[in-house]
Amino acid sequence: MPGQRVLNIDLFVNGLIMGSFYALMAIGLTLIFGLLRIVNFAHGEFYMIGAYAYTLAALKLGLSVWLGLPVAFAVGGIVGWLTERTLMRPLYAGYASWGLMKDEYAVVVTFALSLLLINLVDKVIGPYAVRGPGLVDIPRIALGPVMLTGHKLIATIVAFAMIIATALFIRYSLWGRQIRAVAQNRLGASLAGIDATKTSSIIFTLSGALAALSGALLAPIINTTPDVGSFPAIKSYVIVVLGGMGSIPGSIVASLLLGVLESFGAVYISYDYRDAFGLAILILVLLLRPQGLFGEKGREV
Amino acid sequence: MGTTAKSRILVACGAALAMSAVFAAEPIKIGISITQSPPGSVVQGTQVKDGVEIVKDMVNKAGGVLGRPIELVYEDDQGIPEKGRAAAEKLITRDKVVAITGGHQSSVCLAAIEVAARYNTPYVNTNCWADAVRAKGYANVFSAPIYSSRVAESVAETLGKLGAKRIVAFAENTDYGIGQAKAIGEALKKMPGVTYRYETLDRAGKDFTPAILPLRADPPDAVLMVMLPPPAYTVMNQLYEQGVAPSAKTWLYDTSGVADYPDFWQNVKEAAVDMLNFALYHPGMKQPPLASEVAQAYKQRTKNEPNRLIFQAADSLLFIVDAIKQAKSTDPAAMVKAMESMKFTGTRGTFTISSKPGNTFHQMMDVPTVTYQITAVGQPIGQTTLIEGPGVPLDVKQLKKPAK
Repeated sequence: MPGQRVLNIDLFVNGLIMGSFYALMAIGLTLIFGLLRIVNFAHGEFYMIGAYAYTLAALKLGLSVWLGLPVAFAVGGIVGWLTERTLMRPLYAGYASWGLMKDEYAVVVTFALSLLLINLVDKVIGPYAVRGPGLVDIPRIALGPVMLTGHKLIATIVAFAMIIATALFIRYSLWGRQIRAVAQNRLGASLAGIDATKTSSIIFTLSGALAALSGALLAPIINTTPDVGSFPAIKSYVIVVLGGMGSIPGSIVASLLLGVLESFGAVYISYDYRDAFGLAILILVLLLRPQGLFGEKGREV
Repeated sequence: MGTTAKSRILVACGAALAMSAVFAAEPIKIGISITQSPPGSVVQGTQVKDGVEIVKDMVNKAGGVLGRPIELVYEDDQGIPEKGRAAAEKLITRDKVVAITGGHQSSVCLAAIEVAARYNTPYVNTNCWADAVRAKGYANVFSAPIYSSRVAESVAETLGKLGAKRIVAFAENTDYGIGQAKAIGEALKKMPGVTYRYETLDRAGKDFTPAILPLRADPPDAVLMVMLPPPAYTVMNQLYEQGVAPSAKTWLYDTSGVADYPDFWQNVKEAAVDMLNFALYHPGMKQPPLASEVAQAYKQRTKNEPNRLIFQAADSLLFIVDAIKQAKSTDPAAMVKAMESMKFTGTRGTFTISSKPGNTFHQMMDVPTVTYQITAVGQPIGQTTLIEGPGVPLDVKQLKKPAK
């Protein structure tokens, strides 16, 4: 049936588009959660800050939307860097005498940061939803059977470009190699002369910047409110575990897979269970392949 | 100094003394349970707060009630039922309020009235549309806003006049959304040849395209929106993006009154043009003089145009104040008795209180409604095409559809 084929193409493309935005969020979380093993409950708020930074830069400061993207990226990076410097460093900078377990400290402190940022934005900027201006002012275009806004098309291209750039950065740049070394063995990397503390700082900065960029790209689509980050943050955790803890290619594939699965599942199974598909797949993968899709089995001594 | 000047000074001193006597008296505390922080609708909470603050100032300026000023005690329910229950408990037991109002989300109202019923504290529902709030039949619970089955009847009547036969609703996954979607389904059952289904959408969702895409291949006659902002805005934008509605084939019909939210036009542009709206306020509708006073105060306070929530909040508090006046007491039983028998005049008109069990129990009857169509981007409500309202019979001939 031609109608059915068109619907399937639509669902597939829409799934890939959403998957690309998930990926930008999830890569940042992969770096923090997958590599540093730190649970960052405020990751969704980095995304929210990006959406507001882009929108306010364009609407209140009158900047070009194309400048709004790097502004959001930079603001997210700064927030990520500040988070690491002020809140995360006690985790690995000799504060053992505090008597707090590392994981518990991270959970408590990032949860508090999340609430603080949501309420701060609510009080300072206001509770009203704001929609960012699109990167191009084309409300509706048809690409063959697929209909979308001009902004969505451009934002998807930017998202894929950023995903590739980040993957190349992690793989080939000096900082990227340092990040991978610290992820493999923090002590070993330090013994080899790598400044592990500085590397953690880079990871948080990059993570914040990528989440904020994702928020900025979605700002003209999602009608931003202070609590907008909670939903994508949950998806990102699913993606990180699904893709394999610490695997950037894994998180990219898992993001796209989740986007497409949600898209098809919503139509062919039930829209009501759309958000459960990711969790169902996650349980299945953990049962059959506990290390995730791209994770590697390892042993520690 | 002339006699006139002396008498003016004496009158002023007398008034000042009277006022100081009022404000020396112990205030009457009234509890306001609203959403002041996420995840609930802080936008609605802010508007309810504005509405009750305006009335509080008006009442206190006029000398208070029974010679005592009123004091509003706020609790933040965050739009979460458990928090709503806790808020009611705190207001009654810790703050000793004489009545509670402000509730603006059905799931929160449903939780809070359980507590209010346990303490027999008068509870005036400000904006909870769910029939279930009335159907519980609690003697101390009264409702100022419209109710779901009444909205459903009005929407069904309009759809009937439009000749819509295949109707799809997008409803948010809340007590309000699901209850309203079901009520519309019930009302449409009376219309022969009509097929109706509703899809529940998560309020936290950001991409509703998979729910919309199947409609592109098989467009219905009307898409009903049973959602509140901000997800309502996202759905509207995505319906427009996919070319589903409004279109030459399909009406887009909002049944939740989203067009008068202050952030509406910031979030929805082309997607709202040609949309039909069920609403409870239109600047063109006839209102009592008190409404102009409240509207003026609201404009001064916020620089925004008033909407139904301001008037509903104002009426909720005025209703409590009138009940205290009529009962000449803040005793809960006396207030409830007064509320049941009152003919109440507020900002939206004069209402009697129904005592019929079911969906209208303790409901302010005949809440005025309007239906209008938006015809341009950024259009103020006052300039939309009013097709039905108080004294204006439904006329769908004025409606227009997009060319494609």
